[in-house]
Amino acid sequence: MNFKKILLAVDASDNAMRAVEYVGDIAGDCAGFSVELLCIERLPHRDLYPDEEAWKKACEATRTELRKFLNRARDHLVGMGVSLDRLTEQYVTSCASPFDEPGPACSQGTGTAQEILNALDAGGFGTVVVGRRGVSKAEEFLFGSVSNKIIHSVKNSTVWVVA
Amino acid sequence: MDFDLREFVHRHQPNFPIRRIGRLVTDTTDFTSIGYGDVIRLGDVHYLVLRDEAERRFSIEDFKFWVKRCTTLETRQPAILKLVFHEEFTQRIGPLSIRSFRSETKEARILDLVRDDPRFMQGFSLRDEAGNLVRVLDIIRGKRLDMAIYNLPGTHREYFDTDLYAMLVRFISACEAIKFLHDNGERHGDVRRDHLWLESGTGTARWIDFDYAYEAHANPYALDLFGLGNVLLFITGKQIFTPREFAHMDGADRIVEDDHSLIFRNRLVNLRRLFPYIPEELNRVLMHFAAGSEVFYETVDEFLTDLRPCLDLVPQPKEEA
Repeated sequence: MNFKKILLAVDASDNAMRAVEYVGDIAGDCAGFSVELLCIERLPHRDLYPDEEAWKKACEATRTELRKFLNRARDHLVGMGVSLDRLTEQYVTSCASPFDEPGPACSQGTGTAQEILNALDAGGFGTVVVGRRGVSKAEEFLFGSVSNKIIHSVKNSTVWVVA
Repeated sequence: MDFDLREFVHRHQPNFPIRRIGRLVTDTTDFTSIGYGDVIRLGDVHYLVLRDEAERRFSIEDFKFWVKRCTTLETRQPAILKLVFHEEFTQRIGPLSIRSFRSETKEARILDLVRDDPRFMQGFSLRDEAGNLVRVLDIIRGKRLDMAIYNLPGTHREYFDTDLYAMLVRFISACEAIKFLHDNGERHGDVRRDHLWLESGTGTARWIDFDYAYEAHANPYALDLFGLGNVLLFITGKQIFTPREFAHMDGADRIVEDDHSLIFRNRLVNLRRLFPYIPEELNRVLMHFAAGSEVFYETVDEFLTDLRPCLDLVPQPKEEA
């Protein structure tokens, strides 16, 4: 497994940006590294909104925020020396999206960590990088922890958890 | 021809006092104004409102003004109408808060999914003339599972020897029902012991109230699992044990911080401290919800895989001669 082939999973959080900076620091000037920015789209649940219009608006806002973050992350990595030919992006849209957008694959919303693990396997990456929120044990129990699940589930790859 | 509401109600409910017959309601948006004697029309069916439903929690009657206990005039069958109340609120679970929503569409969708499945309350949804999605629910004849257990006479040991097995059988079936929801991409959303009812006659445990929705991406089913853990704790203990209950019991002096619930820090989870005859395997399932736990269940399958074998370790009811 080539540990220089990095899968960098991000959402639009500060923790994700710290992970981006860390990868930029490590891989920016070094030869042989490639980085794929991965964003598993998480749109707000339809059930949380009184009507379709309000839901679509919220989904649009979330998507815009995620896309903007991806652009920012890409620019950041390039600025730190990762050349564009070593940088790819994967934005996995939500299967429950209200927008009509047929595609080969979409996120089923079965758990962010699981979908990152699927992408890790499918792409043959040697390293996966995630940011860590730093939640309490109680919060982890109730709301889950993507980084913890990845730590416990990954085999044959390196895991970088950036706190 | 004008519709004569008084005549209509009187024809179907001759014993209902005529002077208490109210208005005909076809738009339920202003649900607080709908009260005793009003008639809600949905499609071609008329529901005579008798009262607001109430939930009893912590000894306080909590009225749900959007939930109406009714009689269906055409059939004389009782029904519960849940009107649209799309509130956003914060659920407090121990020290944590969760932004939650009440969603009529979620509940209506689940009612369709679980149609004719006796492990769930039954009903259907209809839109009123203003487009509000109203849920029409059958009434479950029975009692809350926790009250049924709590009211059983005798000591914990007697309960353990005679009743726990049957309760666990019902609970496992109820867990399988939640798994069915998860397998279909749905969450119950409010798994609590007072939302599991034991039906009279059949003894089936049935889930009620599916209208809570919330955001949960990293571990979508964790809240339901947390609820199942709490219900199992009650079923195993015959009640919840806090320091007030266990302070003077044998074994209380050995209780440590890690024996309590991870979320509700005053609830004892390690019940074997008080009741050493509880099988270790069953206690171990409970301990996944304890403060000292490092491993949590992520799916109902994992939970059931550990729980099912415990049935063989609990005294089984003797066959009658």
